[in-house]
Amino acid sequence: MESVKKERKPFRWVSTVAYKTIEKIVTRGYNTTELVEKGYGIVDIIFIDFQSRIPLLKEKEMMEYLLIVNLEDGLTPNAAIARIVAKGDGYMTQCSGASVLAFGPAFGGFCALGSFMNEYLEKAEKENISLAEAARQLVAEYPTIKENEGRTTLGVSAVDLKNPTPERIFARAEKLNVAGKHIAFMKEIVKAVQDTSETPVALDMLGATTATMLDLKFSPEAAWSIVAVTRAFAAGCHAVEEVEREPKEVWGAALSPKENYDGPGDRPVPDLEDRDKVAVPNKKSQGDTIESWYRDFQQKQKMVGTGHAVVEEVPFLRKIRKD
Amino acid sequence: MAEIVREPLLNRKTAISYKTEEKTVVRGYDLGELAEKGYKFTDAIFVLFQGRIPTSNEQKMLDYEMGEFLEHSMSPSAASAIAVMGGRPMLPAAIAAAIMTFGGAHGPGAAHTYMLNYYLERALQEGKSLKEMAKKLVQEHIEAKHPVMGIGQPQHIYGDPRAIPTFNKTKELGTCGIYHKFQIEIQEELNRVRLEQGRKKIYPNMIGAGNSTLMDLGFSGLGGWVIGCVTRGYSCAVHAIETLKKRHAWAASTREPMVQMLDLSMIQYEGIPDRVVPEQQQREDYAERELEKGEWKKWNL
Repeated sequence: MESVKKERKPFRWVSTVAYKTIEKIVTRGYNTTELVEKGYGIVDIIFIDFQSRIPLLKEKEMMEYLLIVNLEDGLTPNAAIARIVAKGDGYMTQCSGASVLAFGPAFGGFCALGSFMNEYLEKAEKENISLAEAARQLVAEYPTIKENEGRTTLGVSAVDLKNPTPERIFARAEKLNVAGKHIAFMKEIVKAVQDTSETPVALDMLGATTATMLDLKFSPEAAWSIVAVTRAFAAGCHAVEEVEREPKEVWGAALSPKENYDGPGDRPVPDLEDRDKVAVPNKKSQGDTIESWYRDFQQKQKMVGTGHAVVEEVPFLRKIRKD
Repeated sequence: MAEIVREPLLNRKTAISYKTEEKTVVRGYDLGELAEKGYKFTDAIFVLFQGRIPTSNEQKMLDYEMGEFLEHSMSPSAASAIAVMGGRPMLPAAIAAAIMTFGGAHGPGAAHTYMLNYYLERALQEGKSLKEMAKKLVQEHIEAKHPVMGIGQPQHIYGDPRAIPTFNKTKELGTCGIYHKFQIEIQEELNRVRLEQGRKKIYPNMIGAGNSTLMDLGFSGLGGWVIGCVTRGYSCAVHAIETLKKRHAWAASTREPMVQMLDLSMIQYEGIPDRVVPEQQQREDYAERELEKGEWKKWNL
């Protein structure tokens, strides 16, 4: 047996974000206690932690605004999952933590949208095309972006037609003079979607928040994380209310009505000694050839709840496929 | 005693199961009847994910694979469970964190399936044999500078000790099929190219061996992934419990004979050197200068 190489340096937690000693905790060079002692607050430290810089006051003001309008949104998936977890009477951290998991490319796709925006902004710059043209291209190519599969709204939808907040976010960003190329680009995306949509659509909260956070120089990943964690406060609050107002879930209590079930009908379990007479091995249905494999695969895709019909996009395969 | 609510938690159409006050029926089979008649847990996994009772050899293969995949000592999943347990949350938080470490690098089962299915479909469209398509796959991965999934493991550099036995077992039980054959062709082609380039032989990992075996048992990529990751959840729970019962919370004690995971001496900071926090009345000028200078961009995450 070969032993582990001995000449290597011992393991260390290497970080450019933060360190701590017995006396202090330092993020991006700033002692965190010194920061708060000198009047800096959570929003300043979010900037410092993610971006390694103290924000301008106007940036801080904008960020405060964004965090407030994104804090709570009723019984959305993140609040619902926090409430469901609360029914198990676990720690509240499990409820808040679970709520973060509700964020994906569809619900709360801040990272996906931000990445598209950056990709097409870069394209506009490289190919010297206008933002309007880049937006038209993004909207036209949007259904073919396989990894997205229509999951994000592109920040434009019918969701917030009656909600003034998305437009107010942009208005505030412009008033504070923090609006930049992302907000300008999102406005063009809105126009491009409206031109192609048969039904009324408008800037939504996802679009307004993403564009503004990117103009505040947060990366798409940072925007996603910050909103997800912000919303976890509200999810925690929902979980608290669930504990206060609703009964705990008793193991095995919830019924699942047969009316909702559309799988195979009731059937007897064969006796164990008969199993090999009645069971059809996968090898038989799959066959030995690529053709028989494909026929079987298509058949399997028809059975819901097996996962055969799901084809998720794998980034490296997309690169290889070049389509 | 308060009345127990029996209303459904979610109203959804489902082809998986229903539950009445008397029984839980999965894909048409009463779970109680399955157990009463002597079926195994792994039989029920087949029923759940595929809606069918497996042959006894298929059941044995899944039992083998889940058994060998359950524990892997210190891999990212166990490390996460141990780290999370250091904060002393409830145990499920550590187990969930462990299961969630499985992704693009640690046990990427579903992605491996998508890769195999993509090339199998291409073989059909382009009229190529498995051998020819394996050659194409390897060539395209080399051109894209992407490692071929299913081969190579950072810890078991001479081959995952579970991989070859898994290949042997699926052959012995007669459950190996087209995915197995394709996986072998891919490995052989990759090693042929590597040896030509004067590089070392590379060995299959548990994704290559285990996932192709699961696919040959009729599981989808996602189904196989859930089975693998959740199976690992059991052993990660043990690592978490060991941390809970036998180790110090926080893993930072200086009194322990061995340096702890979160001992302060383990932190190596390579970021911006210490700097003075500006007073509030200077912050705006300071922030503007900092923004203009642009050094923050180097550190922006």
